[in-house]
Amino acid sequence: MIKVNHLKKSFGKNEVLKDINEEFSQGEVVVVIGPSGSGKSTFLRCLNLLEEPSDGEIVFEGTTLTGLNEKDLNQLRQKMGMVFQQFNLFPHKTAKQNLTIAPVKSKGVDKHQADQTAVKLLRQVGLGDKEDAYPASLSGGQQQRVAIARALAMDPDVMLFDEPTSALDPEMVGEVLKVMKDLAQSGMTMVVVTHEMGFAREVADRVLFMDDGYIVESGTPDMIFSNPQNERTQDFLSKVL
Amino acid sequence: MKGVKGFIALLILFSILFIPAEPVSAEDGSALQRVQDQGVLVVGTSADFPPFEFYAVVDGERQVVGMDMMIAQKIADDLGVELQIQDIGFDSLLPALEARNVDVVIAGMTPTAERRRNVDFSDIYFRTFQNIMIRAEDEDIYDSIESLRGLTVGVQSGSLQEELAEQIPDAEIMSLTDLNDLLLALKTNRIEAIVMQGPNAEAHAGHDEDLHTFVGGFEMDDDDQGSAIAFRKGEDSLVDAVNESLAEIKEQNLIEEYLAKAGEYMAQTELDEDGEEIEAGFIASYWEYFLDGTLITLLISASAVFFGLILGSLLALMRLSKVFLVKQLATAYVEFVRGTPLLIQVMFIYFASGMFFNLPALTAGIIAVSLNSGAYIAEIIRSGINSVNKGQDEAARSLGMSKNDSMRYIVFPQALKNIWPALGNEFITIIKESSIVSVIGVGELIFQTRVVRSISFQGILPLFITMLIYFALTFSLTKLLNFYEGRMNHD
Ligand SMILES: Nc1ncnc2c1ncn2[C@@H]1O[C@H](COP(=O)(O)OP(=O)(O)OP(=O)(O)O)[C@@H](O)[C@H]1O
Ligand SMILES: [Mg+2]
Repeated sequence: MIKVNHLKKSFGKNEVLKDINEEFSQGEVVVVIGPSGSGKSTFLRCLNLLEEPSDGEIVFEGTTLTGLNEKDLNQLRQKMGMVFQQFNLFPHKTAKQNLTIAPVKSKGVDKHQADQTAVKLLRQVGLGDKEDAYPASLSGGQQQRVAIARALAMDPDVMLFDEPTSALDPEMVGEVLKVMKDLAQSGMTMVVVTHEMGFAREVADRVLFMDDGYIVESGTPDMIFSNPQNERTQDFLSKVL
Repeated sequence: MKGVKGFIALLILFSILFIPAEPVSAEDGSALQRVQDQGVLVVGTSADFPPFEFYAVVDGERQVVGMDMMIAQKIADDLGVELQIQDIGFDSLLPALEARNVDVVIAGMTPTAERRRNVDFSDIYFRTFQNIMIRAEDEDIYDSIESLRGLTVGVQSGSLQEELAEQIPDAEIMSLTDLNDLLLALKTNRIEAIVMQGPNAEAHAGHDEDLHTFVGGFEMDDDDQGSAIAFRKGEDSLVDAVNESLAEIKEQNLIEEYLAKAGEYMAQTELDEDGEEIEAGFIASYWEYFLDGTLITLLISASAVFFGLILGSLLALMRLSKVFLVKQLATAYVEFVRGTPLLIQVMFIYFASGMFFNLPALTAGIIAVSLNSGAYIAEIIRSGINSVNKGQDEAARSLGMSKNDSMRYIVFPQALKNIWPALGNEFITIIKESSIVSVIGVGELIFQTRVVRSISFQGILPLFITMLIYFALTFSLTKLLNFYEGRMNHD
């Protein structure tokens, strides 16, 4: 579904991604782990071209995104939902409006229909009673669940998560992971950057370990957590587990 | 410095746009033809100079009346055209003439040698004399030029009287634009005397028992003793035609008739002697001036806010653009407008436009204030957009929204909320600063205040009322903005 060929990304002289090759297939749930600064976020943001790659190509559902014109790129981005560490909900919109604005304004979905979908999705993430609440009145966990629903409202083929629980108080992590687990079970293709090793073990089909701009090791959760091959993976896991 | 280059480019652009390749002038014989073709004679004057020109209510309508205006009417009748009067500040009259905003200037103007260098004059239609105005209580102390030796004497800036005042030995001279301010300065003991045009001084002294005036006995050139009509250089055909009318006026002794009629208009505006009744009578007599002024001030401010917001948003987006030229153009504009006084911008737009087509003063004023506020609003909006967290745009883009949609639906509304207080300040500034357009004769609040001061012979009361009106405007605007700020707040 997504194919990454020789992806490189530099910020000025700082080469953050150094030749990444990877493929994500339909329905697969992949968790990306690695030390801080290793390039996980940058990698994820390159997938939907929020960051422009310096070199290499990203192919999504058969279309090469790199070098694509603005208009087509916007269309393809609609198929790739993204959830941010800081939620990034639109503070001047209610929960429901957060879910309907993009479908109505940019996808041309009928307002009434968008409303219905929004209500359904909010219920799905357990926030059926918060339609008209503004983000500021919601807890972190609730905001992140709205953010997930917002991405789902575009009916994406893949969901990208960048540390969705890192900004949350510990007691709220569970409710968000639960929503993500349900999503995974429903067959959604997901790429998740996270430090939640429990989630990775339980939900992931595959775990990628990134370090210093490379994907150092890739395998099933079992392989990575119980029997890491690379020295750097072992070192990292010994610190976090 | 790339900014400097853009700036210079903009300057050059301006000069190309506004300065005609060769001066438009001297159409021999055609000036008269032109006026007759257009069917109206546009006369510039400065209506704060009774009995020559001032406001009075005629048939229930306020208009500029006075001796000069009756002469103007006679000339227009003789030429077979309509008369249109434009009331402009005295300082701006000759620039307005040269810039073709008006056809002639009739404003009790003395044809000094200095002025003759820039414009032509008709024959002298009124021989005048120069007075000295003092406080009534000083009547016994000051009675000659010599008696004012070494004292502070006021004059209207740019006037003949400014030159004459130098004949007072060792006098310290204070020049102000507005005659009413001079009178106020005299009454509040800031100056000891004013050199004033004779009939005008008598008109004031006749209406104010605190004032006393006497003929100054200044030495003057022949030219300096009269009033004449000013024309653009080289429009001889028009001058000749006007001189014919003036000759007729002289022959039939019409001036005296005109002066008597002007006296009647002035009597209309006379006030009660009793102190308390003056105030009630004052509002009753002049509220229309204040109302008109307030409405025009509101019109200018509202238009400037509206167009300024559109222009400002556009400029802000241009400044955030990635295209170098677009960005530099907007930057140069903003820097240039913020780096020059609004006063000059207003005059520039009014006079420069006069060279090509006749833009009404109000329109010119609105354009100038809008162009000016656009630059300030652009900066406010730009900082507002920058203040919106980058994650907002990223979230919108990740949903597949286009750059424009993200700006329009996500970033801009939040920016607006952040900058609301700053925008409110700008709106209040616009209300106050729009008063500058009074220099080109737009009848907004400050302008009307000047008018009321000149016809009511009251110095302070009109100022006080105007101050209250401005405060009422800005205060209610502040309240209104606070209300909307509250409604935008969802945090
Ligand atoms: N916009 C940017 N400009 C310059 N440098 C950047 C930018 N974004 C990231 N970097 C740098 O790229 C490197 C990798 O950053 P990235 O955010 O991808 O790491 P990460 O693996 O997500 O780390 P963390 O676990 O802390 O989120 C870091 O050294 C960071 O400083
Ligand atoms: Mg990161």
